[in-house]
Amino acid sequence: MIRLLFSLLSIFFLYAANASDGEFAFIKINPLLLKKANAVIRLDETRLEIRNAGKTIFKNHFVITVLNEKGERFAEFSEFYNKFRDISDIEGHLYDANGKELKKVKKKDIMDMTGRDDFSLIDDTRYKQHKFYYKVYPYTVEYSYEVSSNSTLQFPQWTPLPSEGIASEKSTMEIEYPLDYTLRYKSFNYKNEPELTKGKSSNILTWKIENLPAVWRESYAPLWHELTPMAIFGPDNFEIDEYKGNMQSWQEFGKFVYQLKQGKDALPDELKKTVHTIADPVSDPKEKIRLLYEYMQHHTRYIGIQLGIGGFRPFDAKEVSTKGYGDCKALSNFMYSLLKEVNIPSFYTLVYAGESKYYITEDFPSQQFNHVILCVPLGKDTTWLECTDQTLESGYLGNFTDNRPALLITENGGILVKTPKYSMNDNAQLRKIKATIDEEGNLLADIHTRYSGMQQDFIHGLIHQLSKDKVKEYLHEELDFATFDVNSFEYTTEKLAIPAINEKLNIFVSGYATITGKRIFINPNIMTKISNTLSTDSSRKYDVLLTSEYVDIDSLEIQLPAGYSVESLPKDVQIDSKFGKYTSFVKFESDKLLYYRKMERNSGRFPPASYQDLANFYNSISKADKSKVVLVKE
Amino acid sequence: MKRFLTSVFLILCTCPAFCQEELKIKFGKINPEDFKTIYPIDSNAHAVVIADIGSTKFVGNNKGGFSLVFKRFRRMQILNKNAFNDAKVEIGLYTIDTREEQLNNLKAVTYNLENGKVVETKLDKSEVFKEKLSKNLVVKKFTFPNLREGSIIEYQYDVNSDFIFNLQPWQFQGEYPCLWSEYTVSMPEFYKYISLTQGYQPYYINTRKDNSDYFSISDINGAEATQHASFNANVTDYRWVMKDVPAIREESFTSTIQNHMSKIEFQLAALAPPFTPKNVMASWSEVCQELLNDEDFGYALGRDNPWLNDVMADAKRGAKDPVEMAKNIFEYVRNNMTCTSYDRRSIDHPLKNVLKSKNGSEAEINLLLTVMLQKAGLKADPVILSTRHNGYTYSLYPLLNRFNYVITKLDINGTPYFLDASHSNLGFNKLTADVYNVSFDNMSGHARTIDKFGSPVDFIPDSLLESSITSVIIINDEKNNLTGRTTKTPGYFESYSIRNKIKDKGREQYFSNVKKTFNTEVELLNQAIDSLNTLELPVTVSYDFTFKTPSEDILYFNPMLTEITKENPFKSATRRYPVEMPFRMDETYLFKMDIPAGYVIDELPKPVRVRLNDNEDSYFEYVLDGSADGISLRSRIKIDRTTYSSEEYEILREFFNIIVKKQAEQIVFKKKK
Repeated sequence: MIRLLFSLLSIFFLYAANASDGEFAFIKINPLLLKKANAVIRLDETRLEIRNAGKTIFKNHFVITVLNEKGERFAEFSEFYNKFRDISDIEGHLYDANGKELKKVKKKDIMDMTGRDDFSLIDDTRYKQHKFYYKVYPYTVEYSYEVSSNSTLQFPQWTPLPSEGIASEKSTMEIEYPLDYTLRYKSFNYKNEPELTKGKSSNILTWKIENLPAVWRESYAPLWHELTPMAIFGPDNFEIDEYKGNMQSWQEFGKFVYQLKQGKDALPDELKKTVHTIADPVSDPKEKIRLLYEYMQHHTRYIGIQLGIGGFRPFDAKEVSTKGYGDCKALSNFMYSLLKEVNIPSFYTLVYAGESKYYITEDFPSQQFNHVILCVPLGKDTTWLECTDQTLESGYLGNFTDNRPALLITENGGILVKTPKYSMNDNAQLRKIKATIDEEGNLLADIHTRYSGMQQDFIHGLIHQLSKDKVKEYLHEELDFATFDVNSFEYTTEKLAIPAINEKLNIFVSGYATITGKRIFINPNIMTKISNTLSTDSSRKYDVLLTSEYVDIDSLEIQLPAGYSVESLPKDVQIDSKFGKYTSFVKFESDKLLYYRKMERNSGRFPPASYQDLANFYNSISKADKSKVVLVKE
Repeated sequence: MKRFLTSVFLILCTCPAFCQEELKIKFGKINPEDFKTIYPIDSNAHAVVIADIGSTKFVGNNKGGFSLVFKRFRRMQILNKNAFNDAKVEIGLYTIDTREEQLNNLKAVTYNLENGKVVETKLDKSEVFKEKLSKNLVVKKFTFPNLREGSIIEYQYDVNSDFIFNLQPWQFQGEYPCLWSEYTVSMPEFYKYISLTQGYQPYYINTRKDNSDYFSISDINGAEATQHASFNANVTDYRWVMKDVPAIREESFTSTIQNHMSKIEFQLAALAPPFTPKNVMASWSEVCQELLNDEDFGYALGRDNPWLNDVMADAKRGAKDPVEMAKNIFEYVRNNMTCTSYDRRSIDHPLKNVLKSKNGSEAEINLLLTVMLQKAGLKADPVILSTRHNGYTYSLYPLLNRFNYVITKLDINGTPYFLDASHSNLGFNKLTADVYNVSFDNMSGHARTIDKFGSPVDFIPDSLLESSITSVIIINDEKNNLTGRTTKTPGYFESYSIRNKIKDKGREQYFSNVKKTFNTEVELLNQAIDSLNTLELPVTVSYDFTFKTPSEDILYFNPMLTEITKENPFKSATRRYPVEMPFRMDETYLFKMDIPAGYVIDELPKPVRVRLNDNEDSYFEYVLDGSADGISLRSRIKIDRTTYSSEEYEILREFFNIIVKKQAEQIVFKKKK
């Protein structure tokens, strides 16, 4: 006890407030904010000065106390620049736990880095970066900088809590704009209206928040902006390069994008001829689309080139036709031009792509997109085309752009629509296995699986992007057996609106069944298992979000050596919950094990209290999937 | 095993007729029959290199010296889109300050077969992009236009280089099969290079021919009148050709594929007349001398370095005993510096700035450590080496570009200590497994101490033993529930990875994963990790666990619990080159349990002992004993060698198969009647 008291005292001694403590001394942090935090934002002041539709000055000053190693990633300065953005006046300071200044950033300490990525051939974005690399915790960094921008296409956001594990003492956002300027904004989880200060030539809007504890995202949680306060901003009129636009409505914003791509659809004469040769002999417009889409797939490929306005404007269809490559904008525009040649109207369509579904804020027209696809309306039967993929089925989008808002760019402006959602039966995995187990417990299995919809997305990529050797290597890595050989494997695709892949595997698993003396232990579920379990320790705060739905059906027949009889057989399992259904049963009949499993997973949004049920749902399935049959030799 | 051949151009040549054979292929000459859909060499290939032909010649330049002219021609057929990514070409150009290798005469064309006719699309100059990647490297890059499945693409270019040491190497083997790979070098008598050859593919042609060549040099540099010199000199034309070279890919348990592909490289060794004859390739001791004075390496070594004065007291923390002092300084550097990049053999910033900015490469951090140890009056020197993933070195030749890593050697009264302060979880006198490597010739000295002599040092994988002991005891407690206790002391490298995991995800997450590795539901109690912060020692993990009270008539129980070997690490059925494991291993598992109350033994796994490859020192044993008093088990996996030839692969794989099968076996208890 004495020792404990002593150590408490010494901590107190170390961190007790002291007259000489600086403004950012650790001791001055509200203790409530230290809970579950790796870093604390002491102060974050952002000011956006909108000079006119073509010029803004962005000023940011932030002070962050890093509490431990995991908070390290917050203690750096990193900002990008390019043809439209200049960074200046970077200042930085480092303070120790008592808030005493240790160091100041010098100009030569600031690193200048390329924005090079793996997708682009060339990209002119660059970064300014700085880090103190201090390791005595807690410590505090302070940075301030200015960004002047001659493009107003995109405004910064206000995110008092930029990510998990960081708390905030105080964060403010000020936007100053001319009196005749229309500023639009939308706040999330922010109780009040922003404060308006009227001036002679400009107004200022201010958002302010204090003492926000750190937030941790839970599994299957909704998006970040639903969990924490934030605000997004947009201009009315904006400029980029020599282009002007307005985004007070999706329609207006669409007009701007339309302007960028206008006049870029001319095709070389020779290509026009080719297009007619391909499309004219068929009468069904859907078939025409498919044939031209396949032509595009065979004659182009994706290459990213991001230079200047090229980040927003497609290059000419003509250029794509001679070079045979382009980025998503160029290729979608190229496909648009091919269809136009045969009088099929289509829409260049903006979307936010990615498997991790970030949805754009639909009631806030602004530049929130990162990808372009093509939408071809045909009465009620709309065809969607992903033009950067050379192997996708015509009309199928997959998990990259499914089920989310997208902006059609029409002559009259933008129209916000939704991309297709794939249903449970679309996303199916149907598996049939015929296997034998020999006296040594070795398994020889013929496995036929049909994957469709989003369940085939990954395998689609696998078989189209990897060599046969690599696919085999992948199977060796992924199949969950101890020692095994893939004797043969084969993939065939079914070209359907919801594409499917048939997989035929023949595998030999050494010692699949464990034999101990007279007993044999077999897990009848050879291939389809839920192995991850959800922990139920902590209480749930946020809704549960399941974004896609699917079904798996397995049926197996395993031939066993003669002379065994059942000692223990797993019980039939039937689970029915709002998250889905699960059935499995196993039978032993004349030296054969028969196993059936069906799992349906629903999509939807569920209240926090239902998380426990979700954990139970997964954990009982995981348990059922592992259970073994025990047979005994007579 | 003979891994390589090296020669100072004394290759004897017997020259049958085919030595004269030339590949009849010319840039721009493509016929419809050149388009194929399948090549017999590899029916699964996504692309085939039809020809890859390079040459290097020496010419006099107008700067009063010689230049290298490297010419390359390459033709490939892209058979399907999986190879589209390789239609991006990057040409590296060496650069120092404002001087840069010149790329000339770049031509690139895509050919497609359309309606039986060959249609060509040329690369436009505006589609060639330039990017500076580092202080000494600029790349020019482009991608082929109008590329389709089945396209033939070809390109050629010259690189003019004033950097005589940068005689281009040649890689005969790569990701795609190659029908013809040829390199010729016209070597003038006044430069002597060493050639380094590696790989398993034979030459189809390997000839040398004596010739003579005319060299003309001028010097238009400076105010004086231009000076000219011209002369004839003997040259030797070397020609190496490989035909039908299969593709090579990296498999698991490989140090790096770079050690195994067919390749030839050159190293400038000496100058001969008309130069004043001298050895350019110095001995190790000369190279060391140079490195010691090099601003990019050892300049600060052995100097007073007054900029260290302020930190030394903090770093020494009052230690008197030299070992303690060294350890304190090591910890000071390790705990205060952040390593931002690895694989550096030289430094990019003066050590003074490195200390100030608190970050640097592993070379900068360990050189800083070295000068701080020296400042404290201790004997310390840097050691340079090549890590496993960087490839083998040549112990004979001081080829600095082969080295990629710097550590520190400390000598206290004749006892050496090797230190690496660039990893925050690595202890004093400990190194990562990646540092343990060998040289091509299996001779001593894959690493070198940079002192006056350049003394050889060896960190050999075979010298590393990763040994772990786990013991588990399960008893019936007073309420007749089964409860147990696990104590595990893993090897140093596994401990290192546990430390990293805990730092990353926390202790709670670590034990929650331990809980998940139990095959049944358990509760964990009294979790502890000893020596977590004593980075020189392996950790010891311990915890108690309780099972649910059994009620079944028959109880199946796997005694391996969390220590079961579930997967065979050797996945692929065959192997094309040697297996290289990072260390030897010795895993012992000791288990004791009471018979669960109310049950009797019905069946027990049988004991087994298997030797690997008839080697007494590599074996697996599983010795299980059971009686009414209880059950005991000892399972031990011992592997005493790290390298296995491809012929031994099957045995290695089967060895692990036996382990997996045996460890999966269960004890069967029956309820007492």
